Amino acid sequence: MSSIKQIPVIEEKRTNPLARVFDELVRFCRSRSLFLLHYCTGCGAIELPPAMTSRFDMERLGIQPMVSPRQADILLITGYVSIKTLKRVILTYEQMGSPKYVIGICSCTVNGGMYWQSYATAKKLDEYMPVDLYIAGCMPRPEAVIEGLQQLMQRIKTGEAKGWEDYYRNYDYYLGNQQKLFGNDWQTPTDVITEAKHYDLLGEGTLGEHTALLEQHQQPLEALEMRLGHQVKEPAE
Amino acid sequence: MAPLELIIELVLMPLVAFIVGLMMVLMMRRIAAKLQRRVGPPFFQPLYDIVKLHGKRTQVSHGMIHDIGIVMAMGGYIAAETLLPVPGMNGIAEKGGIITLLYLMMIPSLGLALGVGQCANPNGSIGIARALTAMLAYDIPLVIVVFGVAYAAGTTNLVEIIATQQAGGFETWGAVQMPLLAIAGLIAMHASLGKQPFEIYIAPAEIATGPMVEMGGKYLGGLFVMQSFQLYTTSVLYVSLFLGGGTTWFDFLLKSFLVLAIPVSIAYLFPRYRTEDLLRLMWKWPVMLGLIGIAFVM
Repeated sequence: MSSIKQIPVIEEKRTNPLARVFDELVRFCRSRSLFLLHYCTGCGAIELPPAMTSRFDMERLGIQPMVSPRQADILLITGYVSIKTLKRVILTYEQMGSPKYVIGICSCTVNGGMYWQSYATAKKLDEYMPVDLYIAGCMPRPEAVIEGLQQLMQRIKTGEAKGWEDYYRNYDYYLGNQQKLFGNDWQTPTDVITEAKHYDLLGEGTLGEHTALLEQHQQPLEALEMRLGHQVKEPAE
Repeated sequence: MAPLELIIELVLMPLVAFIVGLMMVLMMRRIAAKLQRRVGPPFFQPLYDIVKLHGKRTQVSHGMIHDIGIVMAMGGYIAAETLLPVPGMNGIAEKGGIITLLYLMMIPSLGLALGVGQCANPNGSIGIARALTAMLAYDIPLVIVVFGVAYAAGTTNLVEIIATQQAGGFETWGAVQMPLLAIAGLIAMHASLGKQPFEIYIAPAEIATGPMVEMGGKYLGGLFVMQSFQLYTTSVLYVSLFLGGGTTWFDFLLKSFLVLAIPVSIAYLFPRYRTEDLLRLMWKWPVMLGLIGIAFVM
């Protein structure tokens, strides 16, 4: 929720002792193999190339950049998110496969930074999606970024980094904040509630007044029209 | 051969191929890191990646053909491994021959095309169109090379080709007897790996990894497995055709890793060609070298 510490960790129910060993292995592999999707919105992006290339080399920790949200584990948001950008960030976040982690880099994602007085920026990122880790600074140096990523790896290994579950369990809270910013008819192509039901992640906060509002405005998604070549629009009569 | 022995070989050969393939992926990434003056990934990194991808909680499927496409992509190579003789194990290589092997090596691209088609992502469609164009480009020199070797050996049986080379020693190796075909084969093999400068269908900065764009979780994991098989199959085929296979596991693995190191080292020094450049280059130089090589053989 609004503070990272408050996100409750809910243990998975396991009865088979071998399953525990297997979980341990999967958690270890998750922590050692992180695919990074960097959503570079602001000046923090400039610190990522040195962190990835020969100077600091993230790949020795198993972290490598990926280009599409489906492949990625970490959504790295580097800098301020304007209201227009935030829509895209949320679409990207919902398309990622769980378990997924969000890292906010720079002061702007923490509290708006120097854009505090701007009418067009979203101030706190964790009101709109669960953030697993903030790396503060304006901008944080590559050492700080790698230090932060190592902390995240530690949290994944111990099973604490469960921000993505919080998005399903408290979807109403996040959707409410999103609606406050984008208007009541805000809707994303990903049906989070159905996903939460399918993966057995329905919590007390999944459904509420805001999701009821969503259902009122929700328009059924239609498949994109498939056509070949360029089509000239007929003039309206 | 006893049926039980054959079954054990059929299980063992893909398994060995997978493990060696994982090490080849590691070698590829380590070489890239060394060339870029980085440290590179840890030893078990390819395994971590695959376990993590299969351990994802949400798996986004786009339908049945999407699932089947990935299985075809992996299955084509798994079937191909049983036709590739390794030291001590021949599998069904004597009955299959090189022509079947070449067919099986095309199946993964076609399976991927099916799977990506259902994702309906424009980047994926562009990527797979480019992948099939690239296949058209490198398959012609590859077929010429394989034909030349088979013509010179007088057989399409891979086991016999290897046995002849091993019996005659170093002078009878394909690379010594038919150097032009060996060079053409190396270029065709480089293109079939899909590495730079022939990386037209992955192109992360341009079409967002092309065929892999909608793949997440176990689908991407399947493709990672496929990649390790691909590296193994290509290099072992080359070693069998031109470097006399392997009498022991040690020289077999040494040869296959060395052969793979050549295209991989070249790859990370070059940017990418465009599709038409790839076609022009592939149909000009390796084809020309291959045809001259065949003329010498005849």
